[in-house]
Amino acid sequence: MTFFNFKKITSNDPDLTFAILLSALVFAFFSLYEPLFFNINTGFAIMERFAVLGLVGLALTLCIIAGEIDLSIGSNAALSAVIVVRLTDSIGAPNAILIALALATTIGLIQGFFIAYLKVRAIVLTVGTLMLLRGITLFAADEKTVMLTDFDIPDFIQEKIFYIFSPASFLVLGLFVLVALFMRYTKYGREVYAIGGARKEAVASGVSLKRPMMIVFAISGLCAGIGGAIIGLRSGTAQPLGLQYLLLAATVAAFIGGVSVLGGKGGVVGAFVGTLTVNFLNTGLVFNVTPAYIAQMYLGGLLLVVILFQNMSKVYEDKQQRQLKLADTDSFRQRLLKSLKA
Amino acid sequence: MTNAPWLELKGIQRHFGSIKALRGVDIKINRGEVLGLVGENGAGKSTLMKIMSGFDNGFTGDVFVDGSLVELGSPNKAQALGIAIAQQELSLIPTLSVAENIFLGGNHGPTIASLSTLSNLARPFLDEVGLNDIDPKMRVHRLSVGESHLVEVARLVAHKPQLLILDEPTAALSETDSERILNMVNRLKENGKSVIYVSHRLDEIFKIADRVTVLRDGASQATKLASELDVPNLVTLMLGRELSDMFPPKNLDRQGTSAFKISDLWPDGLLSPISFSVNKGEILGLAGQLGSGAGEILAAIAGSHPVRGGLITDMSSGQSFLPKSSKIAISHGIAYCSPDRKHDGLFLGRPISENLTSPNLKRISLKGILNTSKSDSLSADIAESFTIDPSRLPHEASVLSGGNQQKVALGKWLSINPGLILVDEPTRGVDVGARAEIYQKLVELAESGVSIIVASTDLLEISELPSRVLTFYKGALTSELEGSKVNTDNILKEITKPESFLQLAGDAS
Amino acid sequence: MSAAADSKRSASFRQSTALAILKQNGLNIFLAIIALVFIGFAITTHNYLTLFNIKTIVRDAALVGIMGIGLTFVTLSGNFFLLSMKETAALCIITFATSMSHDYGFIISLVGALAVAMVSGGLQGLLIGRGGNPIVVTLGAAGILYGIASWWSDNLVISFRRPNDAEWLGTGSVMGIPNITITFIVIAILAELVLRKTSFGRQVYLIGANRAAGKATGHENRSMAIKVCMIASVCCAIVAVAFSAQMSSAQANYFSSEFGSSGDFTILVIATVMVAGNSIMGGYGSTLRTSLGAVFISAVDNMMVLQGYNSGPRVLSVGLMIVFSILVFAYIRRDNRSEG
Repeated sequence: MTFFNFKKITSNDPDLTFAILLSALVFAFFSLYEPLFFNINTGFAIMERFAVLGLVGLALTLCIIAGEIDLSIGSNAALSAVIVVRLTDSIGAPNAILIALALATTIGLIQGFFIAYLKVRAIVLTVGTLMLLRGITLFAADEKTVMLTDFDIPDFIQEKIFYIFSPASFLVLGLFVLVALFMRYTKYGREVYAIGGARKEAVASGVSLKRPMMIVFAISGLCAGIGGAIIGLRSGTAQPLGLQYLLLAATVAAFIGGVSVLGGKGGVVGAFVGTLTVNFLNTGLVFNVTPAYIAQMYLGGLLLVVILFQNMSKVYEDKQQRQLKLADTDSFRQRLLKSLKA
Repeated sequence: MTNAPWLELKGIQRHFGSIKALRGVDIKINRGEVLGLVGENGAGKSTLMKIMSGFDNGFTGDVFVDGSLVELGSPNKAQALGIAIAQQELSLIPTLSVAENIFLGGNHGPTIASLSTLSNLARPFLDEVGLNDIDPKMRVHRLSVGESHLVEVARLVAHKPQLLILDEPTAALSETDSERILNMVNRLKENGKSVIYVSHRLDEIFKIADRVTVLRDGASQATKLASELDVPNLVTLMLGRELSDMFPPKNLDRQGTSAFKISDLWPDGLLSPISFSVNKGEILGLAGQLGSGAGEILAAIAGSHPVRGGLITDMSSGQSFLPKSSKIAISHGIAYCSPDRKHDGLFLGRPISENLTSPNLKRISLKGILNTSKSDSLSADIAESFTIDPSRLPHEASVLSGGNQQKVALGKWLSINPGLILVDEPTRGVDVGARAEIYQKLVELAESGVSIIVASTDLLEISELPSRVLTFYKGALTSELEGSKVNTDNILKEITKPESFLQLAGDAS
Repeated sequence: MSAAADSKRSASFRQSTALAILKQNGLNIFLAIIALVFIGFAITTHNYLTLFNIKTIVRDAALVGIMGIGLTFVTLSGNFFLLSMKETAALCIITFATSMSHDYGFIISLVGALAVAMVSGGLQGLLIGRGGNPIVVTLGAAGILYGIASWWSDNLVISFRRPNDAEWLGTGSVMGIPNITITFIVIAILAELVLRKTSFGRQVYLIGANRAAGKATGHENRSMAIKVCMIASVCCAIVAVAFSAQMSSAQANYFSSEFGSSGDFTILVIATVMVAGNSIMGGYGSTLRTSLGAVFISAVDNMMVLQGYNSGPRVLSVGLMIVFSILVFAYIRRDNRSEG
């Protein structure tokens, strides 16, 4: 399967190689530094974290590939969490989850619609929707933290399956595979890459902006919805103003995974690796009894490091391109001289 | 096979406000035919092509496809009718593979397919344009410019069009790549397709066209069989003597003292370093097709193009400097007007007055505070000298016509009192009236002692405006023409099939 | 040139000018309509149009307004916006309070906060000017700045004694107008003057309108990014100092979402800049707009409080205002934008 053709990945995709190396490095560091890190319970904790962060990381990766970004994802997830927690008591967990997901996906679709039809930059619109959704969430939660009455109901999503997985993380991994197949094997997935990497050219080629944009933001909404639902059920509570830390963590994950601010680059595999790396870091720091704000500091620093690396590799690539062009010019000159002498 | 033309346009007129871009064009093309379309800048070629490919609906006149009257409502409609256009600017996605690019946009490709499947499906189209040795899985940013252009055409061919319009397909292409394009055109013709080939390269037109239509001043001047024409006839048809009235009389003697010396300048794209100088009050021309080096030299002097070396010397002050940035050039009184004013020549959203004073804020301010009266008088002065209506000054630059925008893009440089003005394509997209005004102004500036270097692909302009011309072909200096030798025949010859390569001839290696 | 051709051209110019003026002012017409609707509500709300209430509105707008003015410089110059403003304020407030708690006095503490702001702003501007995407750079910087602030203060509250010489800013007033409000008004006037009357201000607009053309005429974003980021950070510092003076204390999370009703402070500031009608791409807008936008948002929020709404509906309506104005501006401006 081409997914696991390492040599091809390395030569085609230096950013992904960097991501994998970084991930391995962080993992190794914490495994050596903290003896308790390298064990099955930690693995379970990491995968549980992954269930939520992976979703958001996947969503942001897709948005950035499409040349946009969804700043409202945290608020969307918080809304979903509140809805699930509030409704589970009355209509049962599965129904509550369905309603929350439907709502979150619709919110995403609407945002994608406006971005595509009115040609608003997503970064501008999602600043507004971030606040709008937060207001709705406050409203839905009556301004307070909502709680389940029966904390046993959602235990099923945390059952351990196969050492380190659970229904939640399995679901998310399944979603990753689905989205990966979608991006790689369908026309619609390629359109997402096109509108991100070279939007003017894509439109000139006849690619409509609307379809890929709405798809990407609908997926983003769905991911936010699932993520919120998982968090809500797992802890049995939901805070209307919570989940804002997700944005930074998911952005770092996406960039480690190889997306570029210019769009058109990156992929689901990268999102997976990037999220794992951030999870290793977060979990490892928890072992160290590091407070949350220090973890944020490391994440922020990591983001800047990744950006710097991307920038340097672009500068290097530009230099190579120039050398190639100059070599072309020089060889043409040699040929011309030869033919003149003849 | 019917004898009726496959596509026919009758009586096409297109006005933009008071500017008549097309005054009555008749053009037709048959199946299995290659039609060359030629004309100077401003003749209406791009307007006509936009209309033919469905990108422009604001015209009057009739369009017939296969004998029936049609509405070319939109690019999609035109494509559905079988008309495809390959623009000068590529619309490929660099981060995607060749195969993915070929099936992008439109319904001609499968919805679900692996990269290998797409590759196999793309193969026949790649072969049709002559790219038999390219791996369709390769990412587009790895291809050469020539290969990219061919992939662009392959993408159009995948829609199975009847008519292919190619706009300057070989501009900036190497000899080998240009040959591939020409072979591809022949192949398409053999397969019964029609091709409209738009180009400034008259030698290529003669290689592949069956008939040639000449556009001049917004109307179809003539359509003849290629066999009935030769290059001089064609040039005469394109230019027309009466257009020479646009130009003020030329000063044929090269007088004056040296103003700027360019030493061993080696911009990327030029085959070897070049040295020349320009006198005070001289208008020097750099003639050559896109990619020949002419435009690159201008941008390099202004610090906007990478160079491998070079020194500019201001002869009046004796100072020499490296052309590293536009700031340095400006500080030495060198003004540069790029060929793309919309990209970097104008601040479209700002008032015209702000545009005109933008290169020299120091002149309109005192210790950092803007002085309204200085600013107003400077912008009014410049507007007056370039015949821009002063009542428009507070309006955004975006409301101006092409010609007036060019005047602003050029005129703003007067604010630095330049000693040297570099201008690339001074009248691209400019109507005839504004053209004359711009030429008049340039000559006036020269007479007041400013040195001007003009680069242009417009034959008329480059032979009537400068008193001395350096010609370039594929990155090499091919000749230096002075006085009476500066005419369209000589220039055309030296930029297409030069007698010598001045730079390379004396090289030891 | 013939006079006939001239006048023909003038006529078509006048035509296109009329349309252009309508488009240019479409924004202002829209804003005027909003203002009228609002005045209608204002008249019908009890206790709203009192001098005391109006002073409250302006004072509440002051903190967001000052930061908004700083951010406007960044947006106008085409550098989008900074996501690190509340974290910059956090670090500045810790700096100020720490210094005050050591009895160094107002001046030195202020200078300390300003220095921290200029360094952090300058560094971010450096990265942005060299090609870094403002969103990503400031997102990362936010994490780092907040981390430093929390770590330095051990996440504890830092208080300083009353009376102290910062009180005049925090709770003092002149002729019945709070000093914070006066600061806001002064900064608003200063900023507008700088933008309209100085060559620096002109450069901000030019670089924002077209970065490539700016470069071609000798105005580079490399240095501009540093300058505008410093301005924005300095405004954060001023807000931090003013707030700390009010509370006579500081904690790293004073500007975070747990504090205050409208949630995320940074988002509120960004929203203010955009609701006011400044173009996100740069080159169009003004700090005057932003100041008025801040007052407007505060006025709406105040009205809702007086009408008895909780924070949920208030945040919701601010969010609605933002989304609505974004959509309207996008619709008005859609012709001016090319694909992508």
